[in-house]
Amino acid sequence: MRVLDVADLHKSYRTGGKTVDAVRGVSFSIEEGEVFAFLGPNGAGKTTTIKMIAGLIEPARGHVSVVGMNPSRDREATRHIGAVLEGSRNIYWRLTCLENLIYFGALRGVPRKVARARGMELLERFGLADRRDSEVRTLSRGMQQKVAIAVSVLHEPRLVLLDEPTLGLDVRASEDVKRLVRELAAEGRGILLTTHQLTVAEEIADQVAVIRDGQLVVQGGMSSVLAGFSRSAYRVQFQGDLEPRQRQALARMEVEVDGDTLRYFGSASGLYEVLQALHPLELVSVARDQASLTEVFLQLTHEKAGV
Amino acid sequence: MFDLFLAELKRNWTIVWRYPLQAASGLILTLILFMTLLAGIRYVAGPAAQYGDRMDTMIVGYVLWNTLVFAMGEIASGLEGEGRIGTLEQLFLSPMTGTRIFLTRALAGQTVVLTFNVVILGILLLVTGTRLHFPAALFLPLATAVCACYGIGLTLGALALVYKRVAPIIQMTQFALIALIMVPFESWQPTSANPAFLLPLVPSAALLRDLMARGEALDPFVFAMAVGNAVLFLGIGALLFRVAERAAKRQGLLATY
Repeated sequence: MRVLDVADLHKSYRTGGKTVDAVRGVSFSIEEGEVFAFLGPNGAGKTTTIKMIAGLIEPARGHVSVVGMNPSRDREATRHIGAVLEGSRNIYWRLTCLENLIYFGALRGVPRKVARARGMELLERFGLADRRDSEVRTLSRGMQQKVAIAVSVLHEPRLVLLDEPTLGLDVRASEDVKRLVRELAAEGRGILLTTHQLTVAEEIADQVAVIRDGQLVVQGGMSSVLAGFSRSAYRVQFQGDLEPRQRQALARMEVEVDGDTLRYFGSASGLYEVLQALHPLELVSVARDQASLTEVFLQLTHEKAGV
Repeated sequence: MFDLFLAELKRNWTIVWRYPLQAASGLILTLILFMTLLAGIRYVAGPAAQYGDRMDTMIVGYVLWNTLVFAMGEIASGLEGEGRIGTLEQLFLSPMTGTRIFLTRALAGQTVVLTFNVVILGILLLVTGTRLHFPAALFLPLATAVCACYGIGLTLGALALVYKRVAPIIQMTQFALIALIMVPFESWQPTSANPAFLLPLVPSAALLRDLMARGEALDPFVFAMAVGNAVLFLGIGALLFRVAERAAKRQGLLATY
C-alpha cells in the first residue's frame, strides 16, 4: 500500500528581491515497508520537499498525500507522519529521554499511559533503557539522535521522514541508526531518508532519487539506478601470474589488467573468450562491474557544474 | 486537550526545577515582593495597585498584574524560545492546532507561576497570621481580563510566527496594558454608550475597580460586556494566530529565527 504520494510539487521563495525556485515539479511515491533515499547536494531542495510533505511548508503548486490525506490542509495527516528534521534539536535537551517521549506523545494525541508504555518499549529497543531518566543534554550525539527517532515513531506513524539522521554520528552510532531504519521499514512504515553518507543510502534504501536545483534528475529502484549508471563491464579476479601468451591474447580483447584483476568492457559473449585466455589460472571471482551510489551522485552533480 | 495540559504542566514544572538557581531566585524574589506588600509598601504592586490602598487589594492587584503580563507575553516569547532551541517545527507536527497548543502551554505555565504565588503567599499569611478579604465575585472579572489578555497574547504570538523577534513589541504592549488597566474609562461616559468598552480589558478593569476600590457589587450588565469583550479579543487573537501560521507555512518561515 502507498503511504506517500508526491505529485508535481513546486515551491519558490522571494529572497533579496529575487524569486528562487527551491522545488520544481518533484513527484515520487513511497510504498509501505520501503526505504526511499532522497539525495542531493546542499541547497538542492531536499529539506523544503520534506517539510512540504510534513505540512510545515505549504507548496505553491502540486499535491502531497500521506495515507490519502493532505498534510497542509488536514491536521489528521500528522498522526501518520513522524519526522526528525535536520538542523533542529527536535527534542528538549533539559528533559529526560522518557519525559520527551511522554510529552511528544501527548502532543500527538497519545494518551499518557500508552505513551509511557510505548516509550519504555522504544527505549529498550533502541538500547537506551538504562538512560531513560538521563537528561538528553547529557547523552552522546548518537544517543540524542536515537531518542529523536524514538520520539518520531512513538505515535506509530505510517511515514517516517528522516532528514540526515546519521549526520555527525560515529561509526557505531551510524550502524545503530541504519539498523533502526531497517527495522522501522520492516514494520511496514515508509521511510524517507536524506543523507550525505551515500554508502548508508546504498546499503539500506530500496528506492533512490537525486534532486538537483529543485528538480529530480534520477529516480527509481536502487539496483536499477546503479545498473543504469554502470558501464557494461565485468571484473575478473584470478590467482597466479599471466604468461606472455596470455597477455598477448588479452591485449587483443577490450581488457584492462591490473595485477591479479582484469576489467573487461566487451559483450557478455566475449567474456567467455577472456576466461578461456586465462585458462588454467584459478579464478577467484567474476562479477558485473557496478557503479556505486557515490559515483552516480558525483556524476549527476558534476553535470550541473558542467564538469 | 486535558492530556496536553497535563503534559505541558509536567514539562513546565520539570524545566523550572532543572534550572535550580533560576527557580530559587524566582522564589526568593516572589517571597520578598509579598513580604513587602504585606508590610504595606504599595508601589511594588505594579499598575494594578490603583484598585485600592488596602493590603488585600494591593496583593490581588499584584497577582492580577503578573497574570496579565504573563498572559500577554508568554505565547510570543515561548515561540521565540522554541525557535531558538530548534523544537518549534516539532510542535506543529501535531493533529492539534497551533492556537490550541500554544494557549494550552501558556495556561500550564500560568498555572505553575500562580501555584508558586499562592503557596508562598499562603505560607506568609500563615506565618504572619494575616487574613485577606476580597469578594468571591472578583474571580469573574479576573477571568474575563485574563481571557482578553490571552487574545492579545495570541496576536503577539501571530506576529512572532511571521516576524520572529517581537520582544520590543511585547514591552510596548505592556505600556498599553497599563493604560487599559489604569485609565477609568467607565467614568467618562455611561457604560451603555461608552466606546472605550470595546477596547480589550476595559470592561473587566472597570468591574475590578467597582469591586475592589469602590466596594460596589458586580454589575451584571458590565460583566456581560466583559464576557463579550473577552470572547471577542480571544477570538480575534485565535484568528490572527491561525492566519499567521498559514502565512509562515506559505513563506517557509516556521524554522527560521
